Amino acid sequence: MKERKFKANEAVDFVVVGSGAAGGVVARELSQAGFTVLVFEQGPRLEAADFEHDELKYFFLHGITNDGKHSPQSFRKRPGDTAQRVMGGFLPATYARLVGGSSTHYTANFWRCHAIDFNERSVLGAIPGTGFADWPISYQELEPYYTKVEWEVGVSGLAYASPFDPPRSKPYPMAPLPVKSSGVLLEQGARKLGLHPFPAPMAIASQSYRGRGPCVHCGFCMGFGCEARAKSSTLYTMIPEAEATGLCEIRSGSYVFHVDTNAQGRATGVHYFDLDKKQHFQPARAVVLSANGAETARLLLNSTSNRFPQGLANSSGLVGKYLMFNQGSGAQGIFEHELNEYKSVQVTRILHDFYDSDPKRGFYGGGGIDARINPQPAIWAMASGGDLPRWGADFKARLEAFPRAMASTGHSTSLPQEANSVSIDPVLKDAWGIPSIRVTYQDHPDDLAMAKFLQDRSYEILEAAGAQKIWRDAIEENTAGVHLLGTARMGNDAATSVVDKFHRTHDVRNLFLCDGSSFVTSGRGQPTMTIQALAFRAADHMARFAKRNEV
Amino acid sequence: MNSSDDDHDTSSRRSFLLSSGGWLSGAWIAAHLPGIAAAAHHAEQMPAEASGARLQFFSAEEAADVEALCSQIVPSGATPGAREAHAVYFIDRSLATYFAAMAPDYRGGLGEFQSHFLAANPGHAFGAASPQIQMAFLKTADRTPFFETTRMLTVLGMFSSPKYGGNFQGSGWKLMGFVDQHAFAPPFGYYDAQYQGFVPYAAEKPA
Repeated sequence: MKERKFKANEAVDFVVVGSGAAGGVVARELSQAGFTVLVFEQGPRLEAADFEHDELKYFFLHGITNDGKHSPQSFRKRPGDTAQRVMGGFLPATYARLVGGSSTHYTANFWRCHAIDFNERSVLGAIPGTGFADWPISYQELEPYYTKVEWEVGVSGLAYASPFDPPRSKPYPMAPLPVKSSGVLLEQGARKLGLHPFPAPMAIASQSYRGRGPCVHCGFCMGFGCEARAKSSTLYTMIPEAEATGLCEIRSGSYVFHVDTNAQGRATGVHYFDLDKKQHFQPARAVVLSANGAETARLLLNSTSNRFPQGLANSSGLVGKYLMFNQGSGAQGIFEHELNEYKSVQVTRILHDFYDSDPKRGFYGGGGIDARINPQPAIWAMASGGDLPRWGADFKARLEAFPRAMASTGHSTSLPQEANSVSIDPVLKDAWGIPSIRVTYQDHPDDLAMAKFLQDRSYEILEAAGAQKIWRDAIEENTAGVHLLGTARMGNDAATSVVDKFHRTHDVRNLFLCDGSSFVTSGRGQPTMTIQALAFRAADHMARFAKRNEV
Repeated sequence: MNSSDDDHDTSSRRSFLLSSGGWLSGAWIAAHLPGIAAAAHHAEQMPAEASGARLQFFSAEEAADVEALCSQIVPSGATPGAREAHAVYFIDRSLATYFAAMAPDYRGGLGEFQSHFLAANPGHAFGAASPQIQMAFLKTADRTPFFETTRMLTVLGMFSSPKYGGNFQGSGWKLMGFVDQHAFAPPFGYYDAQYQGFVPYAAEKPA
């Protein structure tokens, strides 16, 4: 093992904060380009053998997600409200806190954004009261990097299957995963309605790939770490490859809380706590924040100095603003025969017929629909919306219908609104004494309308598929998210964005931000694929700048 | 986080830790899970006792009432219910350990539940009443945060890993037809077994 261990205070070329979907890619790309890279991860390093089929632990006891007990957050709907500390369950900005980050516990839906996602403002016009804007890059510019994600990280899918797919330069490296009964029923129902369902692209190996075995269909993907290393988490893909260069160290259990700058306004390194809560300083030539769309913003806002009193890289005042969670909605159906949805990956068929916004609907929005279920028994049993029975013999009968159930779910847009944000709570501090995240969030009415629209389509699909009984709930406003997008948006204008099209902050030449925070618009609800494409592209540019001494 | 809007019980005015409605209405993402298990301690993974019979939090009287309530939520019968799954022992242990933060509120809610029941049915504790009387009472009390919390804990007690003290011998999983296995092979269900394969669409983009 050539794994590198840097000495205390040994300067490195790049410090990367965060080892998740983006940080893992950036670390591999920069170390393979010949730079020394030190990756900080606040959480532990776990391996496949450490992950368990344990619903209580992973969904109710913060098994691998951030825990409000040590890392509290507060929430409010509107900027005028006083935020309240969130005392239970999933935090307003939830993420996996371990090496591999949220790529460890994601469901692994890997949709590319479509061309429209990047220039939708130009096509549709302004949406008053929002920060709806074009991206500074096009789909064409990102396409080679989407292909790179599919081949380097490992995505299973069927190219050209969806008539709505954007152009691609290469097919998928692996065939789609075996279809499940939910996929078959969604496909049958949707085809009857004239829609175009197709095999879901998933970042899960359907065959042996680059030293990893194929999926064993255990069913514990969403919210869990993969015990078979088949899910293409950076923990299993990018990170070992970065370490194999001998130039990269992953320093887990190390919590970065401040980015330091000097009198010239350059980043000089980061301050972090080790597991014993002892503070250290790590010098670096350049700093990359890939801490996720909540923690990257928090770190910048907490990195104040005389030169940057309102936080680092925040001359625009937009750090933390334009938070987008995506919306979701669905309907559940019970069928005559067993589906056994608790087996295998969560999604095998999706459709993009409603991807584009359509003025005829009367509101802005777009999204996709997939076939899935929450495969774990307790969460499925807890559902209580609509006219679902909640106790007694009827409830028991519903429990027994578990093998015959599936859901059709919509995943859709969130408009960028300046009031929706990650900011610093004025009083709340974490267990290390660092000021905490305050989330302010209220869905735009169009976001809710789009979610409802897709729920209605889901209902129709289940009906057309022959469901004996269908349930759906009221559309609910987001008070928490796992898609943490938009809080350091990309743009060409330093007054209206935080990073440029190369992910370099407008204000600090050797500080780069790359994760969900870079998003300008929300995509359609499956952001990780795009986060990783951006990371491959950003790393290319970082390496180019560094080689020319331009950082 | 918000309490029930359908109060029959003053306990719902308390700042209970659990939402009473809309619990994971659909199936999409963890983000839609509302508040639960506040400030829970990490699971202390104690070995499951085969008997599960030692109470750590409840008194015997409390346990009898809670078990009766669990048993109304998932009744016994031809297939095992909450009682056979040892849900009450799961709840007892969870409130003594990783859900300890909610324990004082839970006990308060239980006390109010018991006194309301006694006011309506003098002379018997809930657990000692007939199933018919229990059911009739619950119809007036099944929207309170206490009930919702018990429902949530009963579900967790039936379907969490048996190592937490409930789901005795996998009886909850058996009831739901869930198999905890580390590998499966297709076909997974009836409909995919019948599937004929994906038929491509015509090349032109639909209107």
